[in-house]
Amino acid sequence: MIQKTENRIKKTGRVKFGHSLIKILFQGLLLCLMALPASAYEKIIVLYPAVSPMLIELGVSDRVVGTTRSDHAIKDIVQVGSHLRPNIELMNALDPDLIIAGSRRAFPVNMKERVKADIFYYDPATLDEILVKIKKIGAMLGREDKAEALVARLKSRLSEITPLPHQPSVIYEVMAEPLRVAGNRSIVTSIVSAAGGKNLVSIDKKHAVISTEKVLKLEPDFYIYQVGPMNKNPEPPGERPFYRSLKSKYIRINELEFARPGINAFDAAVKLNRIFLGAGDE
Amino acid sequence: MRLILLAALAAAFVAAISAGAVKIDLFNMSEIERNILFDVRLPRVVLAGLVGAALAMSGVLFQYVMKNPLADSFTTGVSASSAMGAVIAIMLGLMPYIPLFALAGGLAGLYLVYRIASDRGRIQPITMLLAGIVLSTFASATISFMKFLSDDAVSSIIFWLMGGFQAATVSKDLILFGVICLSFLVIRGDYLKLDILCFDDTTASSTGVDVHGLRKKLFFAAALLTSFSVGYAGIIGFVGLIIPHILRLGNFVKASYLLPASLTGGAAFMIATDLIARTILQQGQELPVGVITSSIGGVFFLYLLIKRRKELFYFN
Repeated sequence: MIQKTENRIKKTGRVKFGHSLIKILFQGLLLCLMALPASAYEKIIVLYPAVSPMLIELGVSDRVVGTTRSDHAIKDIVQVGSHLRPNIELMNALDPDLIIAGSRRAFPVNMKERVKADIFYYDPATLDEILVKIKKIGAMLGREDKAEALVARLKSRLSEITPLPHQPSVIYEVMAEPLRVAGNRSIVTSIVSAAGGKNLVSIDKKHAVISTEKVLKLEPDFYIYQVGPMNKNPEPPGERPFYRSLKSKYIRINELEFARPGINAFDAAVKLNRIFLGAGDE
Repeated sequence: MRLILLAALAAAFVAAISAGAVKIDLFNMSEIERNILFDVRLPRVVLAGLVGAALAMSGVLFQYVMKNPLADSFTTGVSASSAMGAVIAIMLGLMPYIPLFALAGGLAGLYLVYRIASDRGRIQPITMLLAGIVLSTFASATISFMKFLSDDAVSSIIFWLMGGFQAATVSKDLILFGVICLSFLVIRGDYLKLDILCFDDTTASSTGVDVHGLRKKLFFAAALLTSFSVGYAGIIGFVGLIIPHILRLGNFVKASYLLPASLTGGAAFMIATDLIARTILQQGQELPVGVITSSIGGVFFLYLLIKRRKELFYFN
């Protein structure tokens, strides 16, 4: 009887041990599965050109299988149309597992349903948001270390900015005719702010069509006008008759350096700070 | 009635000069306010008035040419071909030459429609209308294609096409004023002939009117007015259609009354709508003036259509 009881106890112990072992193995497997998506994205389509240089920095450019036709950062790659009208057939043919799009407006839900891939929306409005997005992309692609290093490098780039004796006021021209300027939600406002300046247009939009009267009234220290796809070859503001009385300093900049919310934005902030400083020295 | 129109123009002008994105005390202006008034607001109000006058007048002329109450710069294809010229300039980055390209596009459209619609030097109104619609469709398709190719620059094309007077300058005002004066002087002596032209061609010819020569003259003047207007202000719809019709309903039926009244009425309407476009939003934001002209004009025209539909068919 005693022998039987001892055998039963031993048997129960072995069963318990077995259960625990299975439990541990299962938990381990679960952890592995949870960690798997971090490195699972092997085929990425980038629909927002500012993201491509970031992916190069993270060392995952070889995973990019498609970009838009205005994105030339990664060479010899399939172009899937424009960021506003990507070709769904081409995208599906590439069999992507991740699509990085600009915004929900650029890549709406109905398009999302037609491609079997995860979607990541990249639409930062400030320099800080760019850093957050870099970390998120790094985590998604299993490149946390590189993402952290990139973030640290970009932060240290910002530390090169020299404090200004006074805060210069700025208006940033996105398009000359009709006059469209950068508003609060534009990355430009964050760049100007990081450079030590202040965007005088506080409208809660990315861009706003405003009156030239308003520009004269606001009297900005700097009138920055971008030149690029959205403002091809504009007439220099100093030569426009209605700005004859405007005493601002006119700064011509490259749209692709300033208006795209990517890693270029940090260089743009440093460059703008030097322009402000240089103007102060004059 | 003429006095009412002149009073409306004067009232619109004074209101437009007094109000804007920046509040100006006209009797006690600072230096900035003086600069805003004379460098920005005054040239803009004048350009709005001139474009309104030019579009309304071109609408009247096109309606005489085609003997069709629905004819205007859009139905004749001149507006769309001017816009196509302007969009080509935007795409090529030749912004300062937009008016020149618009003029070239408008004149090319005019020549094409004229060639298609003329048979041994005689313009056939119906063929011209159909050719205009085809040209308009083709020009619109070309603009859409260029928008597609532009990618990042698409918003610059869209916003320009919506129309506006932000880039008004005194030199533009003077040129457009010259074009309007020229067109007006060219047809000033033909008022009676224009009235006779409303009858059928045989009747008009039997009274000694050179029907085909007159049509060519009117068509060229109207196309010139439209091309300059589009080049300076983008596409602004409805003005050429509704102003002449509203005036006809106000008993401006004879050409000698209708043409001067169109100039005055078009100018007053455009100045008023531009005033709304630049003051309706806060913080100095502006709406495209074409949005205001089409919405106000459309609703008002619809009201007239319903209320006075019998009188409207003047050409019948």
